[in-house]
Amino acid sequence: MTRLLPVAVFVALLMPAQAFAHATLEHTSPGFEQRLGSSPRKVTLDFDQYIKALPRSLQLYSSHGSIPVARVRSDGRILEGSLPARLHRGGYTLRWHALSGDGHVVSGVFTFGVRAAAPAPTDAFGASGPTRAEDAVRWLYFLSLALLVGGLGFRLLVARRPLPARFYAVTGIGAFATLNVGIAAFLLRAEDALQLPFGRLLYGDLRPIAQTRFGTAFIAMTLGFALVTAFLFLSWLTGKELLLWPAFLLGLAFVSGLSLSGHSAADAGSSWKSELADWAHLSAACLWIGGLVQLAIVVWPLMPDARRSAFIGFSRLATVCIAVLLLAGVYLSILRLPQLNDLWTTGYGQVLLVKIGLVAVALAWGGLHKLVAVPAVAAGGVLPRLRASLVGESLVGMSVLLAAAVLVNAKPPVQPAPTPPSASSVQK
Amino acid sequence: MQPPAEHVHWLFATGFLSLGLCLLGEAVVGTEVWRRRPWRAYLWPSLAFGLGVFMWPVMVFFTNSTLHMLAHGAWAEVLMFAGAVELALVRGKLQSNWWRLAMTAAFVVSGAAFLVHEQNTWLFQRSAFLHHLLGWTLLVAAVFPLARVVRPRSQAAAAGFALTFVVIAVLLYCDRDVAPVFGHISELAGTPRR
Repeated sequence: MTRLLPVAVFVALLMPAQAFAHATLEHTSPGFEQRLGSSPRKVTLDFDQYIKALPRSLQLYSSHGSIPVARVRSDGRILEGSLPARLHRGGYTLRWHALSGDGHVVSGVFTFGVRAAAPAPTDAFGASGPTRAEDAVRWLYFLSLALLVGGLGFRLLVARRPLPARFYAVTGIGAFATLNVGIAAFLLRAEDALQLPFGRLLYGDLRPIAQTRFGTAFIAMTLGFALVTAFLFLSWLTGKELLLWPAFLLGLAFVSGLSLSGHSAADAGSSWKSELADWAHLSAACLWIGGLVQLAIVVWPLMPDARRSAFIGFSRLATVCIAVLLLAGVYLSILRLPQLNDLWTTGYGQVLLVKIGLVAVALAWGGLHKLVAVPAVAAGGVLPRLRASLVGESLVGMSVLLAAAVLVNAKPPVQPAPTPPSASSVQK
Repeated sequence: MQPPAEHVHWLFATGFLSLGLCLLGEAVVGTEVWRRRPWRAYLWPSLAFGLGVFMWPVMVFFTNSTLHMLAHGAWAEVLMFAGAVELALVRGKLQSNWWRLAMTAAFVVSGAAFLVHEQNTWLFQRSAFLHHLLGWTLLVAAVFPLARVVRPRSQAAAAGFALTFVVIAVLLYCDRDVAPVFGHISELAGTPRR
């Protein structure tokens, strides 16, 4: 019994809370992303507290534009409005605003479909899609992952010996940034979906966004990387290097959140193979760039006696990473751009060309290290500019991540639907 | 499925009560006696760090509004950070006593987060009153960890620091939706619904 009690407390603490100060939406009809068999007569929003309707409290949109909602009224905790007699087949966006009992305007958005799948809230009518700010935040997220996961990989797979405290500083910065940049990315996506200025976004209902693939990935990755941060800290505190292994393995596992919520999971033609390829692509990039950073700013300046073994060991790891990067990258490119001319005729293809160009520069740089620097270092030679060269290769790698961030936020060209089998072939 | 908010608040209140009682025990018997068993030194910093880790699920599942999500995120980070610093000081990984300012910062950030995330006036409803009280308690009580930095042997600072956690625990126990028992203070909060 005494053993069960801490377990019960632990499990209960894992469960989340709901705590409301202003009115919170409890239930809607139609529901979030619900697919309806017929056109609804009205929309109803049920709150936990007293609310008042405002002018344009309910705004309905189809893909063609606004649809008037008649007789919008509030009755205690209920906000409802009547819809036109018949909504055509398709996806619809409902934006709502209400005056909460505490005097604040609470807002939100959700989508539903009539005889069709509902669009994701992030694709709601009026949402403009990823902005330049989101590109920058995505890039920072990739860099954070590289510092954290790549740094851990370097320590465990290449160095295999205690590293100076700067190792923990660099990976710790990566862990902190991963958590906070992840929150920023989620809020930016929510801001775009809700189409609200910052002051009103503070009272925006984020649950529809949290229920998307992107939101689920945000939840899983935040929890996962909080654990990774805890393991990293405990390893530093106790000096037990063994704790770095769960941190590394959890980090690698939760990197998959991006693969399971991005193009490789959601777009046409996606499968477990594309998700696996995307995860391998991202993990290899993290190991490569994060390892380079550790080599350049931890081992080279602080551990002169370990330079040779670390450089040669990293060269081996980088070769494997590059091979995985190329194989997975080529597979994913073919999947998303089946026509060769998509490379120069579509925006997605053009960004991919830029990325390929940067990867080629990074590969050439890495190849130079492999073919010239590794034999020289292995023979005991001293290359005074090698550290600067490693920093340069890291910077090119980071610019590859920038191109990747833009690419992830861009939409690949729509692929033609496969030709359905003819009636005669079905009969056969 | 999500449990009622009051249950989670009460579980965190239990965590803070345990933390406060450990600190109170140390303040009463003295640090030398308290640390005769070395593991005791790690007890309250570990609790603070653990509560920070457990605050993350609350943050990510609590997306009813941006404001509350950010407030829970801030509490998760400062609890983890302050707990981590205290653990490192006990372990000897950090030496300077100035690192204890991390706890002062945690009090200030937590108090500010309470006050910013509670948008209602003091008497709007019970939880609003307690959020204001929690916020100001933390802001004012930040003087105790600050005093521990400049006067590490001060019994008053140690006792005040410990009692702050006990008070926070009591306020958290009282915090959540207790409308079925007490009713809302303001009619604007609507009809009690549980």
